[in-house]
Order: sequence, then structure tokens, then C-alpha cells
Amino acid sequence: MIEFKNVTVSYPLPQGGDRTVFSNLSVKIARGEMVYLIGPTGSGKTTLLRLLYMDMIPKGGYTRVGDYRSDTIKPKEIPFLRRSFGVVFQDFQLLPDRNVFDNVAFAMYATGKGGARVKNRVLQVLSRVGLSHKRRRYPHELSGGEQQRVVIARAIANEPWVLLADEPTGNLDPAVADETLKLLISLHRQGMTLFMATHDYRLVKTYPARTLAFMKGQLVEVDPATL
Amino acid sequence: MSLSYSIREGVASLRRAKFASAASTSAMAVALVLIGLFLLLSLEANYVSDWLRQRVGELELFLEDDVSESLAIAMHERARNTPGVAETDYISKAAAQAVFRREFGEGSDLFFDEPFLPASIKLRVSSSYANPDSLNALVDHFESWARVDEVIFNQPLLIKVQKNLSLIRTMGLWLGALVILASVFLVGNTIRLTIYARRLLIRTMKLVGATDTFIRRPFIVEGVLQGLLASILACLALFVLYGFVSSYLPQMDSTGGSGPLFLLIVAVLMMGIFLGWVGSFFAVRRFIKHVALH
Repeated sequence: MIEFKNVTVSYPLPQGGDRTVFSNLSVKIARGEMVYLIGPTGSGKTTLLRLLYMDMIPKGGYTRVGDYRSDTIKPKEIPFLRRSFGVVFQDFQLLPDRNVFDNVAFAMYATGKGGARVKNRVLQVLSRVGLSHKRRRYPHELSGGEQQRVVIARAIANEPWVLLADEPTGNLDPAVADETLKLLISLHRQGMTLFMATHDYRLVKTYPARTLAFMKGQLVEVDPATL
Repeated sequence: MSLSYSIREGVASLRRAKFASAASTSAMAVALVLIGLFLLLSLEANYVSDWLRQRVGELELFLEDDVSESLAIAMHERARNTPGVAETDYISKAAAQAVFRREFGEGSDLFFDEPFLPASIKLRVSSSYANPDSLNALVDHFESWARVDEVIFNQPLLIKVQKNLSLIRTMGLWLGALVILASVFLVGNTIRLTIYARRLLIRTMKLVGATDTFIRRPFIVEGVLQGLLASILACLALFVLYGFVSSYLPQMDSTGGSGPLFLLIVAVLMMGIFLGWVGSFFAVRRFIKHVALH
């Protein structure tokens, strides 16, 4: 289970003082749920995701991911918390000097795995995203949609239980965006929790799910059909 | 597994980021050449200083006029076995007369009939004794011997040389500290830049849940390898430079054989590894701490 409990986040401003992004925010996401996070730029969508993988710690309240709580977690435990997540960004962030296979395998090596287990799993996830035939290609040899699928393969390689996606379709044309979202939804249908920040209301309407929207610093539940 | 992965990654990074690796390695090699040159100069300076102090700190024992040849030789033997004495030279009355004749030329014939110069023993002390205090103690020691007329050494000159040498040594130490500081700064900055160029790698590793130690390890392996490579290059450069300079200054070859030079090579190798390790350790630690995931 994921929980935000009375979370307050603010940034210090260069000219002094703080800017509050949101205060006393509380929301729960059950394991296996699919949730969209929508709102205008600067409303706090990315901040909310960063709070989850504890790239930042709230000033007030706490976030909880499984057994980890932001107010009690030790710095040494944060890497282990992050293994609960697969993260997909808008700007892909693939390593340009490694081929597709190595980009995915890298995520597994980085968490201490090795040997035949890595090879088998990488081939499995590449096949899952439909790219096993392009495993020797380098990122610059792939289209945007293919690069995003490699990112998804990398995100699921370590078998996380939550998939965080921040504008995963932002750099893709509508047809490819639809394909990418279908892939994410199919992963969710296999039991993965999917938490996705997006600007793309068309996708939210086409593939409806629980939707949280930032409105005037508050997080509210909205009906996708009303968007 | 993770250690072998770190080693493989560290080695592969040298190949992947050729330009960055070349930049770090060259910076380290330049720094090591500077440090090596400084060490080499220190070795030479030490040798010259020892030589100078030994020469200036020469004692001469003049024996009484009526000392027989056999007693003089026995005294010479005794002086040779005195602690702190490195070299001795016995100058008999006849030898002193010959030196006098050689140096004074024609006029010396006036004194030719009678050997009027006393026999003497010249002493050169080991470098650790070549200071005014030890020499004064030796002078007192020899003056207490029976049949020794006078013991002389050039104390004012030795004090002057001693003062100048300690000034040069202090300046050398400051210069050395400056060279090492500049080298560490140069290497630190270059490594930091090359690691900055790979912040995406660090960010991705953090994002997928790699521990800080795990992220750091391949960079340290790479840094150590670069340091080793740089120190080998620096040793080659120093070797060529040394050969070049000693072809103009052949007396440089007399610095005590290959022992000190071997130590110099070991010192440069160790320093290269140390520079690579420390430089990459601190640079990558800083990035792990500050790189934003989003």
C-alpha cells in the first residue's frame, strides 16, 4: 500500500521565504491499483512522485511505501525502497553508450544480480515489450516509442510492485502514445500498481481509471469522463 | 558477483568514455611527472648537500713534530676506526713536503733541506656527522689524544653552508607542498568533470536502487586503473627526462646507484594509484549525494 499522510512540501525561494507546493495532503493507493495524476505544470505532480521514491522528504507528515515510511527510513534503506519501483520518465534517460540489452541488464546488475538469471530475465522483459529482436541496437538507432519501451523493460526488469510513470507519453505522437499506454495497462492488469502523472487528458478519457487531480494546491478525486 | 561486475564496469568505462579517460589519465600523468621531478630533484639535492657538508666538514689532525712514522700510522688506523669517520688520509712529513713543493714551485727549494711540515691525518666524516656540533665533539675527542698537536676544521664556512642548505630545504618543502597541492587540485577537478559527464549513469543507478557503495565501486576501479596507467606514463617520461639531463650532467649518475631510483618509481606508482583512488572516491561521492533523480 502507498500512503501520503498530511504531507506538506515547500521549497525555499532564492529571495527568501518558502513556496508551499501543497500542505496536509492525504491519499491512499492500494496495491495493484491504477491511478492517474493530473494537473497543470508546476502543480506538484513530479514532486509527489519524488516523495514516493524518497528523492525528497516532506516537511510535514509522511509518505509510506510498503513497510518504508519517510519519517523513519534510514538513508541506507532508501536504495532498497527504490527497488519497489520501476520508473518511467518522459525523456527516456537510456544510457547512450550501451545497447538495448545492456541498458536493461544494467538495472539488474545495479541491484546486485548476475549470471544467467540476468540474461534470461532481460530477454523475457524485452520480449514482453516486443523488442527482443532489437536487443543489439543502441538507443540512437531506435524510435521514440521503442526507446520508451526499452525504458519500460528496464523499469520492470527487477520485478517491482509499483510502476511510476511521469509523463511517459509526453514525447510521443498519439498513435505511439496509445501503444505505450496499452503496454503499461497490460502490466497493471498482471498485478502491478501503476501510478502515472500525465497531461494527456485524451488518454485518461480513453483508458479511464482512478484519477487524482491537483487543483489549487489540493489533491482531489475526479471522474475521467468529466475531463 | 557485484565485485566482478564493478571491475568489469570499471574496465569497460575506460573504453566507453575514451576522451574522458584520456583527459583524467593525462592530468594525472602531468601531476605525477611534476611530483616525480620534484622527488628526483630532492634526491639530487640531498646528495649534493651531503657531499658539500662532507667536503666542508673536513678535519685535519696535525701530529707533533717528533711523532715517529710507525706511531703516526697507528694513530691513523685509530682515527679511521673512530665512529662517524667515513674516510681518512694519512699525509706523512715527506708527502706534506711534496705537496708544498708542488704548490709553491721554485721558491720552495729554500726549504728543501729539512722536512719542516708536520705529518697529518685528514678526516672526512659521514654525512650525519657533518654539522658543527658533532664536528666540535670530534675535535674535542681528537685533541684529547696524546701526540696530537692541533685539530682544525673550517667552522664558519660549515655554519654558513648549513644555514643556506636549511633555507633551501625549507623552500623545497614549500615548493613540494605546492606542487602536490596543485597536482591534487588538477586531478580532482578533471576527475570531477569526467564524472559529471556521466551523471546520467549515476542517476539511473540511484533510481533503480543501487546502493552508494555499489555506484562508487566501478568509478574507483576506473580511477585506480587510470592512476596506474598515468604513473606508468609518468615513469617513462621521467626516465627519458633523467636520461636526457644526465647526458649533459654526468655527475647526476652518482646519486647512489639504482636503489633510490627504484624507490622513486615505486613512489610514483603508489602515488598514481592513490591519486586515482582518492580523486574518484571524493568526486563520485559528491555526485551521488547531489545528483537529482528527476
